[in-house]
Amino acid sequence: MSEDPATGEEVAGDAVFPYFLYKSKGTDMTETPLSVSELTKVFRKSFGISSFKAIDSISFEVRKGEILGFLGPNGAGKTTTIKCILGLLSPTSGKARLWGSRPASLSVRRRLGYVPENPDYEDAFSPVEFLSMFAHMRKLPDDRKMHELLLDRVGLKGWESVRIRSFSKGMRQRLSLALALQPVPDLMIMDEPTGGLDPNARKEFRDIILEERDRGASIFLSSHLLSEVETICDRAVILAKGKKVTEGSLDDLLRVEEHYRIEYIDGWKTPEETRNAISVDAGNLQNTIDALRNEGRRIIGIDQEHRTLEDVFLSATGGGRR
Amino acid sequence: MRSVMTFALMTLRSLLRRRTIYGISMVLLLALFGIGQVPSFNVDSEGTFLLDFGLFGLEIGALLLAIGLAANIYPRDREQRTAMPLLAVPLSRGQYLMGRFIGAALVQAAAMLVGCIGLMLILVMHGHPIPSDLFPAALLLIVEGWFLLAVVFFFSFWTSPPLNAPLTIMLFVVSQMTVLQFVELFPQASGLMRFIRLILPHMDVFHIKDPIAHGMEIPSLYFLLAALYGLAYMGFMLAVALAVFRSRDLK
Repeated sequence: MSEDPATGEEVAGDAVFPYFLYKSKGTDMTETPLSVSELTKVFRKSFGISSFKAIDSISFEVRKGEILGFLGPNGAGKTTTIKCILGLLSPTSGKARLWGSRPASLSVRRRLGYVPENPDYEDAFSPVEFLSMFAHMRKLPDDRKMHELLLDRVGLKGWESVRIRSFSKGMRQRLSLALALQPVPDLMIMDEPTGGLDPNARKEFRDIILEERDRGASIFLSSHLLSEVETICDRAVILAKGKKVTEGSLDDLLRVEEHYRIEYIDGWKTPEETRNAISVDAGNLQNTIDALRNEGRRIIGIDQEHRTLEDVFLSATGGGRR
Repeated sequence: MRSVMTFALMTLRSLLRRRTIYGISMVLLLALFGIGQVPSFNVDSEGTFLLDFGLFGLEIGALLLAIGLAANIYPRDREQRTAMPLLAVPLSRGQYLMGRFIGAALVQAAAMLVGCIGLMLILVMHGHPIPSDLFPAALLLIVEGWFLLAVVFFFSFWTSPPLNAPLTIMLFVVSQMTVLQFVELFPQASGLMRFIRLILPHMDVFHIKDPIAHGMEIPSLYFLLAALYGLAYMGFMLAVALAVFRSRDLK
């Protein structure tokens, strides 16, 4: 429980997080939060003699209030794309825009929350010190009570003044989530935010992401955890070998033409001896059933087939190897 | 500016929590007190000896402090990825560089002032007067130290720390040389050597230990012009360092 600074009432920690005190300035929610157009990044090695194309003409956008999953096997170019979006890498060609502005613009970056992959911070400071410094750098009020509420929300209550030196990887990830949430971001860019977290912590992260989406924020979520993306994302972009291989809403990606799986056995044997199955589309279902019966086989079950995001991912990435 | 000062304060606190600064300062103070223990051949020249070697020690201290403080800041931030969350969201690269530089410059100035006070104590302990130009000379050494700090930051954006130190020391040595001394290194290419010397900094302007040690009076205007020269060159080095930093990818 914590105290709502506005009313002085005791409230549950994350139920009424007082956004109004922290709200960043200049929010214009009319533009597309993130648009990436024909983005290409080539890394040159050995004095430019050899080169490696990490991402190749990828385009997509994150719409207002949606969670976009960004998927791809290791080395597909996800982190490179994120670094180009954040201005940490300069693209070889193409462009990334945040609310129509260049990523270098500090005014748009102050509306961002960023959760890096394997976050690390100068370990001589405590979480409260970090939140205080980031508040100053972001031109937000430096209010200890707010910092404590934020740390409570991400599960770091009781660790406010402990130096980061003694933090586990999961705790550093929680701190990075707190720093990302600090400006009440209009867009959160998350690079493998739950990698290495235990299932409980993953669930807490997911809940916070959904709360942020419900608040109106847009989320760009890069993740290896397909089940996580399937659970919370509205749309997904899949990369392979630096190229975008598919994009769409989760409903569209998971929708399959009506396919049925027919299980049957030979009439005179027990199911344990000869259980067979075939997959047919809806148009051929009746003909197949008739044919099996004519051949004297006994049908023991007919089920509609379903596709998971893993099926979509493996099919789109061709097994996922670069 | 608020962002830069906050980050500078963060850098200052971070550097003060490391042991490097205390190690270098302790070595500097021990060296100064060691100079005080060196027996002089002539009692009359002891004050000159103490001032000469003391100011030389402070100058070397400024060089070591610059390397010790700054050579590892950016490479460490890059390798440990501590720069990413900062540069991705609240800070521009210019703010990052200025914040890191100001934080390190404050630590260096404090260490140099401590060294200067140490030298004054040694002079008093040996019964010698403190020359009126000692304090301005110490301020000039601080400016020299800041310039060296800017050089170290510049090198740190495109070399590793083990390479940064010899490059900075080489620049320090070369920039103390006169044109003639420099040309003598390669007399066959005297024109080229003169041109290179022209564009390299002239750190000999900070070399005032000899006149101070021998009791010569230095005009105030000299201190002012030398300090302005150092600050201008420092600004130039920081601008070049920023241009290099902006062109670098943060992989």
